[in-house]
Amino acid sequence: METVVINLLNGISYGVLLFLIASGLSLILGLMGIVNLVHGIIFVLGGFAGLTVARWTGSFLLAVVTGAVISGFAGLIIERAFLRLLYKQYLEQVLVTFGFVFIISNLLLWIWGAWPRAAFVPSYFDGSIPIMGFYFPIHRFAVIAIGAALAIGLWWLQDKTKIGAIIRASMDDKEMVGGLGINLTPINIGAFVLGSALAGGGCVIGVQLFGSIAHYDGMNMLLVAIAVCIIGGVGSVQGALVGALLIGIIDSFGRVYFPVMAAWTMYLVMIVILMIRPSGLLGRKL
Amino acid sequence: MTIHRGKKERLFRFAPYVIIGLFLVTLPTYAGVAFVSLLTKILIFGLLVMALDLLVGYTGLWAFGHAALFGVAAYTTGILIVHYDITSFWLSAPAGILMAVFAACVFGVIALRASAIYFLLITLALGQLVFEIVNTSLGRLGELTGGSDGFGGVPYPELGLSFSTTSYYYFVLAFFIVCGFLLFFILNSPFGHSLQGIRENETRMRCLGYNTWLFKYIAFIIAGLFAGVAGVLYVHFNGFISPEGVGFGASGLLWLMLIIGGRGTLWGAVIGSAVILGLQYYSGVFTPERWPLIMGACMVAVIMFYRGGIMLHVTNLWKKASSYGSAKS
Repeated sequence: METVVINLLNGISYGVLLFLIASGLSLILGLMGIVNLVHGIIFVLGGFAGLTVARWTGSFLLAVVTGAVISGFAGLIIERAFLRLLYKQYLEQVLVTFGFVFIISNLLLWIWGAWPRAAFVPSYFDGSIPIMGFYFPIHRFAVIAIGAALAIGLWWLQDKTKIGAIIRASMDDKEMVGGLGINLTPINIGAFVLGSALAGGGCVIGVQLFGSIAHYDGMNMLLVAIAVCIIGGVGSVQGALVGALLIGIIDSFGRVYFPVMAAWTMYLVMIVILMIRPSGLLGRKL
Repeated sequence: MTIHRGKKERLFRFAPYVIIGLFLVTLPTYAGVAFVSLLTKILIFGLLVMALDLLVGYTGLWAFGHAALFGVAAYTTGILIVHYDITSFWLSAPAGILMAVFAACVFGVIALRASAIYFLLITLALGQLVFEIVNTSLGRLGELTGGSDGFGGVPYPELGLSFSTTSYYYFVLAFFIVCGFLLFFILNSPFGHSLQGIRENETRMRCLGYNTWLFKYIAFIIAGLFAGVAGVLYVHFNGFISPEGVGFGASGLLWLMLIIGGRGTLWGAVIGSAVILGLQYYSGVFTPERWPLIMGACMVAVIMFYRGGIMLHVTNLWKKASSYGSAKS
């Protein structure tokens, strides 16, 4: 029983981190039709920048902001300088982002070196809370709390604001939204930057779960995030949240009960869900 | 195009095949071992990318997990030879190819439920599934595949011949020619033309009474078959296979080869494979640690400025040359 609770909490905290990555991916894919393969490495870029700032200043908040800003800026450059020129050429956009995966990851390797960066845990997240005889670290609760707050914020943005209404409408019919006289360019840029910034800031917050992060983690996180998007369904905050929590919990239990299959249980789940519901659990129609 | 082809025109039509064929056959007599080995690799990857072109360029299916099918064949053959002592080429090679075809059958059913960008996403995830399976270092599976280190010690195929680099090159060349022309005939058959029809307008093809799902499925399996052949040839050539050759990066590298060579041109795939593997080889000599940077920059540059591919220029040049040649007579 105790192990179940601990695994559940571990799974939820991992799921929250996945949500921070996958929500951006899902937003960009749903709104702009771009499979943003560079998302994983932007996540790591934000983490590296944020952790470096944390080492210098010792401020966790500043680190998160730096991570988000740097990642958002990288996303802005890629969107404005490259993806914009390939408007509506979905395949070409994917391949450009694929190229950037290797460019940025090699640059990170060049600048920061090959060794993993250790996580920064601020003093006020130190310590742990006893739960049924186990000690569960506070920083994991902090990750869950921050993620929950961001999820609510994103849901509010999506469902309760005018911008959210425009985003939802243009996922359904871009031409019609444009025809109503709404300029979609700032919405697209905003979504791309917001998604990237969420990943970058999320890395600084979530890296506490792993203890460290290296440049090659970007690819792994990206692929997990893609599985999250496929399972949860593309284009909604709720879909990304459900997919992320599901994968987080499955992964956490898989590592304990079937260690051999741990890395690919989530892909099996993905296949099963695809066979039943091709558009994902809460997805829009493909 | 005239209906009555002159002798000269026919000459011009077949001349490139003859010239390139002669070049490939006589090459080992004047090139070094390193170059012959590089060329073997180019032919193997050329075959693999041609199979990808069948999907991407002809059928319009954006498969991003093609290296996984290649890897399934390579791992199956390698494991049978190294761990189970089934050294006969007549058993291990068909087993590898059959496993690749089987994987393609399964993946096809799953991935073909979606189309376009979602097809890409799902094949990417399925490729990653294969990557994670061979990357596991725990349990019996880990012993067989060697986990993230991969495993080595696969000899040249056992056919009662003693292979050297050069003779294995001829072996691969023979397979390449046979498979290349098989693909060529498949694509120029009514079946191949239906695939192109599906690429152009699937709804119309469906209205004309074609079972487009079945056509796409068969195309996916054929691509898996040739990817399997390439995988078996590769594992014998390299003697070593690791998860890196199977995953997301490897699949993307195949895409880069395909785009540089030219989509939907079949033979362009080989040109792309030659350009990229040549570049990889020489960057390995000078700055091996910057290869991903070069590769990524190539990808971005090619997509932004050179989407047509090299083959387009080659065919244009050849058309010009042959029209000049036949006009002269």
